Amino acid sequence: MNWTQFLFRLAEPVVPPRFVIKRLLLLIPVLFGVASVVFAILHLAPGDPAVIIAGQRASAEQLEQIRVELGLRRPLWEQYLTFLWDAARFDFGQSYSISRGNSVRSVISDRLPITLELAIYGQAAGILLGLPLGIISAVKQDSLTDHVTRIGALTGISVPIFWSGPLLILLFSTYLDVFPTSGRIASTLFLPDTWTLFGRELPLTGMITVDTILLGNTEAFLSAAHHLFLPAVVIGVYSTALISRMMRSSMLEVIRQDYIRTARAKGQGAKITLMKHGFRNALIPVVTVIGIQFGTLLGGAVLTETVFGINGMGLTIVTAIGVSDYPVVQGTVLTFALLFTLVNLFVDVTYSYLDPRIQQ
Amino acid sequence: MSTDTETRGTLGRLRASPFLADLLTNRLAVVGLTIILGMAAVAIYARVTYDLGALAGSQLGTEIADRAPPGWLGPAPANQQLFGTDAAARDIYKRSLYGAWLALKFGTITVGTSTTVGVGLGIIAAYYGDVTDNVIMRTMDVLLAFPPLLLALALVAIFPRDLGLWRAVVALVLVYTPRFARVVRGAALKVLEDEYVDATVALGATDPRVLVRHILPNTLAPITVQSTLNFGLAIIDLAALSFLGFGAQAGTPSWGLMLSRGVENGLLTGEWWLSFFPGLFLAITVLGFNLLGDGMRDALDPRMRDAID
Repeated sequence: MNWTQFLFRLAEPVVPPRFVIKRLLLLIPVLFGVASVVFAILHLAPGDPAVIIAGQRASAEQLEQIRVELGLRRPLWEQYLTFLWDAARFDFGQSYSISRGNSVRSVISDRLPITLELAIYGQAAGILLGLPLGIISAVKQDSLTDHVTRIGALTGISVPIFWSGPLLILLFSTYLDVFPTSGRIASTLFLPDTWTLFGRELPLTGMITVDTILLGNTEAFLSAAHHLFLPAVVIGVYSTALISRMMRSSMLEVIRQDYIRTARAKGQGAKITLMKHGFRNALIPVVTVIGIQFGTLLGGAVLTETVFGINGMGLTIVTAIGVSDYPVVQGTVLTFALLFTLVNLFVDVTYSYLDPRIQQ
Repeated sequence: MSTDTETRGTLGRLRASPFLADLLTNRLAVVGLTIILGMAAVAIYARVTYDLGALAGSQLGTEIADRAPPGWLGPAPANQQLFGTDAAARDIYKRSLYGAWLALKFGTITVGTSTTVGVGLGIIAAYYGDVTDNVIMRTMDVLLAFPPLLLALALVAIFPRDLGLWRAVVALVLVYTPRFARVVRGAALKVLEDEYVDATVALGATDPRVLVRHILPNTLAPITVQSTLNFGLAIIDLAALSFLGFGAQAGTPSWGLMLSRGVENGLLTGEWWLSFFPGLFLAITVLGFNLLGDGMRDALDPRMRDAID
């Protein structure tokens, strides 16, 4: 394919819009169900929100006033419908305690980028290392490389993040003192809230490695990368292990197919056959797994943030559940579910691009 | 044929089953099985030998030193312990061993319950189809739309704190059941296409009979693999919930809780043994289940792999 052909190919829609729209419509009942589950969970949860807000010493009148303000005295179905309407507008009210007086939306917009940044680096490392490792392992099946990769990957998925994290901190931070134990940037560095592009002030992304680049602050970028390194390694190792396992077994199945033998028989080189016919077909099931394991990765981010003291969505949800800050729990859980669902939608679309038969 | 099998005894019967034979020639699966059996022996030993109250309670004020390193490091005073002691002067060796009992016990309950419920729902959905299928599977879809650990965290919030590990078990059962239901439904739908099911129905077999006698046995293989792989996951997730403070109650010698104390008390001071030993037990146990699960998957028909992942 020459460059013009390539550009034409880019211009045409890779996946029919009808397919994408159909998938989006299918999301509505699922998200409706997800919101209902979250509503049910937090209505079953123990503890009186009024007491959580006002404290044990508040008078009965004060508590009653808060209950009326929160709408807790209205019939359940009315509360449910209000919740659905608010959730659809992404409005979860104000935090009870962990960020008192601030809207849940602002808590999420502050902390989601932190978690996303961690997840993206972890996932990127997993894809960049996991795919080649899986392919090499499959092509050299039963070689020493294969055995080492397989056992390494099995160990990688068996070692929990809340063990590998502390051990890395003990080794590299406490004993060798080459990485910081926690936090996102050196405490002596302060970042402004905005950056300037062509004389216009723009908000920062909240992803610290991106922001420091936008600000052109090399020292801050290096400090941020230094802080992010160990947490990203912890998530990245797990993700690499998962992806390389899937890629290996998928590639093993594909290279036994007839079309691979045909391509080789007509004289095509081994490497070209592998990349042109093997890789794309082997990638199909792996793409699905990458989508599903993104959920596990978000769980991994919760644990990583707890171990490394990073104040992202994960640490927020753990703290919020601990102190019964229900609006924050509702908002963060729904955001995580929405994110996970959207990633899987994206995966479905990619899948249909890789395997057009799915579109029918 | 039957007499032949009898004369060859157990080994003969094992050889007669291609699945078991494949499994036993898979070195990694045998290692996995050995690890699991070893850990089960440790668990039973710890359960029989140690008193839970003594492991949970603080031993401050006794001769045992607070946060003492493992006894084999440096000049060891007589009262030092094999794996050292924690911030409440408790013996990490005994607690790690007892952790095996808690992990395997609650892991078995979690995986057992979610397998049973998931298998039931999956088979019913596949067999009755239509509305039943839709109601069951769409509910499962909603549960599957949450990232697993986050759904578990939200569910754990419902239950009172004094339920300890039981609330983690209930939460994880709700997280895992949909996965089993989905796998089983897929496998059952394949079985239902076979003509012998139609034949059985035509002969007048009742619904429960068809489900239990004909469909269930044919879905057992993928279920067994899924359960084994899920066992490793369940043990990690139970520990993770305890680690985050939503599982085992304070003082319980669960690996997750011990790791959380290790992060709280040992990271900055470099007291590595608080984290190292409980985590090592946890990782080895999980590795055992993953090795066995992988071996089982390889021993099965490779075409089954799609149904399992």
